[in-house]
Amino acid sequence: MTMRTFAYAQPESLADVIAALGAAPSRDAVRPLAGGTDLLTLMKGDIVAPDRLLDLKRLTGLDDTVEIRDNELVLGALTTLTAIETGSLVGEHCPALAKAASLAATPQLRNRATLGGNLLQRPRCWYFREHLIPCWLKGGDACPAREGENGLHALFADSPCVAVHPSDLATVLLAMDATVTVRGDAGERAIAAGDFFVQPDEGRRRENTLGGDEVVLSVAIPLIPGRTSAYHKAMDRKAWAFALVSAACSFRLDGGVMRDVRVVLGGVAPIPWRSTAAEAALDGERPGADVFARAAAAALAGAEPLRHNGYKVHLARNLVIEALEEVTRA
Amino acid sequence: MSTWQVERQEGEDGEVTLSVAEGTPLSPWDAGAALRIVGTPRTRLEGVEKVTGSAQYAYDVRLAGQLYAGILRSPHPHARLTRVDTTAAAALPGVHAVISLADAPDIDWYDDSKLFDPTLRFAGDEVAAVAAEDEDIVADALRLVVAEYEPLPFAIDIVAALAPGATPIHEGGNVESEKTYERGDVEAGLRAADVTFDRVLTTQTAIHHSLEPHGCTVAWEGEGVTVWESTQSIFDVRQQVAEKLGLGESQVRVIKQHMGGGFGSKQIVWKQTVIAALLAKRSGRPVQLMLDREGESLAVGNRNPTRQRLRLGATADGTLTAIDVTIHQAIGAHSAGGEGSNTAGLYQTLYACPNVRTSQTGVYTNTGPAVAFRAPGYVEAAFALETGMDDLARQLGMDPLALRLTNYTGDDQSKEMPFSQPDGLRACYEKATVAFGWGETIEQPAESHRRRGVGIAAHHWVGGAGDPPGYAWVKLNPDGRADIITGTQDIGTGTRTGLAMVAAEELGFTLDQVTFHLGDTALGPYAPVSSGSATMATIGPAIRAAAAEAKAELLAAAAAFLEEPVERLSVRDGLIRVAGEPEDRATPVAAVTGSMSPHMIQTQGARGGNPEDVSIQTFGVQCAEVEVDTRTGEVTILRVVAAHDCGRIINPTTVDSQVIGGVTQGIGFALTEERVVDAATGIVLNANLEEYKVPTVSDIPGIQNVHVGIPDLKANPTGSKGIGEPPLIPTAPAIANAVFDAVGVRFYDLPLSRSRVVDALAARERQGMPA
Repeated sequence: MTMRTFAYAQPESLADVIAALGAAPSRDAVRPLAGGTDLLTLMKGDIVAPDRLLDLKRLTGLDDTVEIRDNELVLGALTTLTAIETGSLVGEHCPALAKAASLAATPQLRNRATLGGNLLQRPRCWYFREHLIPCWLKGGDACPAREGENGLHALFADSPCVAVHPSDLATVLLAMDATVTVRGDAGERAIAAGDFFVQPDEGRRRENTLGGDEVVLSVAIPLIPGRTSAYHKAMDRKAWAFALVSAACSFRLDGGVMRDVRVVLGGVAPIPWRSTAAEAALDGERPGADVFARAAAAALAGAEPLRHNGYKVHLARNLVIEALEEVTRA
Repeated sequence: MSTWQVERQEGEDGEVTLSVAEGTPLSPWDAGAALRIVGTPRTRLEGVEKVTGSAQYAYDVRLAGQLYAGILRSPHPHARLTRVDTTAAAALPGVHAVISLADAPDIDWYDDSKLFDPTLRFAGDEVAAVAAEDEDIVADALRLVVAEYEPLPFAIDIVAALAPGATPIHEGGNVESEKTYERGDVEAGLRAADVTFDRVLTTQTAIHHSLEPHGCTVAWEGEGVTVWESTQSIFDVRQQVAEKLGLGESQVRVIKQHMGGGFGSKQIVWKQTVIAALLAKRSGRPVQLMLDREGESLAVGNRNPTRQRLRLGATADGTLTAIDVTIHQAIGAHSAGGEGSNTAGLYQTLYACPNVRTSQTGVYTNTGPAVAFRAPGYVEAAFALETGMDDLARQLGMDPLALRLTNYTGDDQSKEMPFSQPDGLRACYEKATVAFGWGETIEQPAESHRRRGVGIAAHHWVGGAGDPPGYAWVKLNPDGRADIITGTQDIGTGTRTGLAMVAAEELGFTLDQVTFHLGDTALGPYAPVSSGSATMATIGPAIRAAAAEAKAELLAAAAAFLEEPVERLSVRDGLIRVAGEPEDRATPVAAVTGSMSPHMIQTQGARGGNPEDVSIQTFGVQCAEVEVDTRTGEVTILRVVAAHDCGRIINPTTVDSQVIGGVTQGIGFALTEERVVDAATGIVLNANLEEYKVPTVSDIPGIQNVHVGIPDLKANPTGSKGIGEPPLIPTAPAIANAVFDAVGVRFYDLPLSRSRVVDALAARERQGMPA
């Protein structure tokens, strides 16, 4: 489909963008544009129809720098997925993030798509993406996926919406205790990834807590000595598909037992889904098949499968086990 | 040397038709024929044009003043269009023409419908169309069309459409057609069986998704109209456009030089062609109307989903005693026409069996109309029948190959006559299984959750025999080069190259001495639709006939030129040779043709009818090796080996291409491709290439095509049959059987999606079976 008419602007500074966002009559009226790999598809699908796009790619104050700063790996919001996939710093300090980037989309899309946009992308739910269907997330009365074709939908939805979060990177970032730094009219704030992503509710039909006047600046991953991580993703085909289910796990070994354990699932909730129950099952234990199986079971204990997505329970359990095995090997 | 006879025939309704018998007797190229070009691998004549972007597709046409058009589609699967108002759309600056139910001419479409019908029968049905100066204006204008609908009850699948009290989609109800066939006594056969198979199997709706969408560019000149169309049949487009618009056929010119795939979906004329012609007439400008991917997904065909209850019986030695199948297939909202989806055909013919009963029911549903999709019906049937055969083999403790060979037949039992090539399928079994190493132990990965397995499936196919009539012309120019002219079309398969090779072979020319012309109804003689894998077998013999006559005239002219008796002359590599004379005394063709200028040798060849005492079929066998991860349900195809009997292979390169492409589509059909319709709204949820998952290059393994290449001398004088459709037929069952071999789980429903495989493996694990 063809997009509706809109205006395009190239602000000179981030301050101009924040001011313009703050002054916008509604959140959808003025939208920042980076890689555009999600926003433009939403516009072509007539899901959003902004009056004005503000191009972020050439202004001062926002960048694609990847560096180590204060014992953190810091990635600028404009870092492309290709840079995350192939960059040496990410590869050295957070190979699971590089792998997640490599498993996302296609080379063409990864060349264009940015880290910030990847975290903010909207769900791929086919009811949300169909302009003829007024789903709850778009302002409708109810979620049609709950009783509909929900094979791709959530096991853990504390929300009227059962769409799943599509980001591969977000799942890993939660497992790495990353923080997201944003800037708005009131200044800069750093938000733990686990607080950045929040299930949509009546007052906020979105998957994150970014303010209407805020822009993502960067993402920081603390470097914890000895911590390793892994990311496993199941897709309908070998490439160019969003995760049916994915699992990001990380821990460090301290005297042979697991510490700082993180178990995060993708494709099972409207946000990246961290399982503290699974983490508790692993903390202080030696790595091994039995404890991995117990943790995997704990991760899925509260799952509420819909009519067509029960397979995700089995799949998620085994992906957690596979990811934990890989962390152990690393 | 060619014949032409007309016979008057009067039908029961008094209608007189003239039956024409024609053709040129040619000695067949038998297995020992010393051919110099045919059978050698050749790259496509148009390859450079395609990779450099200069090849002109329907979309590439740009005419002075050309407008662009788009279609407004119904958001409801079944509704009455109570009001449509295009005033605001027409008033938008840049809009030059609109059309809708409000002002469309009364043009019949499908069986009982109209070009713009007040009853909309699927989500995606045509409501209105606009032509404007660019595509953005078109989109804006379509949003301004006011359409009001009275929604009606709807049925989107076979079960809903046949349920008591289901909404009738057409006046006569929801059963579109019923066909039955019976030989012997299946109940007695089942009673005599030692092992039986009795299951319901289903196949999904698949979308063709040609790389190039459907569409056309239309320009009027006076009362005549030229249509550049992405089509498998320029002459059918000509006939249909003429009929719908009330023109003579000679007033319609249809051009198609290159095409990015059709796979059956472009073998009929869809509404957008006539809509574009009407918009062009109204606006007085050329109009281009290409569908977007959503339109491709909704309104221009699909592979009909099937539900097949299959019963098989066999004795302890593997002899089939009964095949009984009850087939329901959802044909969508309309009978679209074209090549029928004969799902029952495979059951009647593939295996020797005295007791066979088939029942096939076409069911209307409120979904986009189905149309032929590369081996329609046979792909669906092969999944069910070859799954059942694999199961019987397991029950009997027999090798699946041995079971198939036990039930081999060289006769077409449904037609009660022998196959033209009774050993074709046997050769496929041998070639495929030897190349694959069937029966050899496969190596299992060290990790116990990764299991490998192998599967085999066979097929015959009713197409590939050729579809006469069809014609070709040959001109020998003064410069010694030949023009070959036919009204056929190259739908992306390499037709140009293969047919040019036939011409060069028969003329005794080199391939670069031949210039090939096709794809224009005004400039070439009639050729039929490129469907049923027919083009090579239809037009190849016509070209041979025209070339043979041209060569005879050339040699007669050369005899006069060289003052040699014609019996001593021959043409090879573009040189006229005198028997017994040294090679270096050969005379270039141009010396002869130049000396008779401006007179030229110009001949016509006609494709004679097919023989009536044999059944011409194509055959194939495929073997697949897969790996299944029992933890994640991931299925990886490791390799596919194919062997297909398409008679004499004209161009091995393009035959390999057809097999690679067909197997690729087969892998998509086996694992990922499925149209999804929302039951609550009737809306297609994956009318795009993101959620409708065709295989990517990473999903496709090495595909080995083993050449069979036995000339079918009874089929036609080239000995060649079609290869377009067959390679897709056995792929899905070969894969499903390999999955069973790997993990012991049988799938009765396609596709073997990740969710299905994981569910089945999880269910088995719950039953305490080893993972």
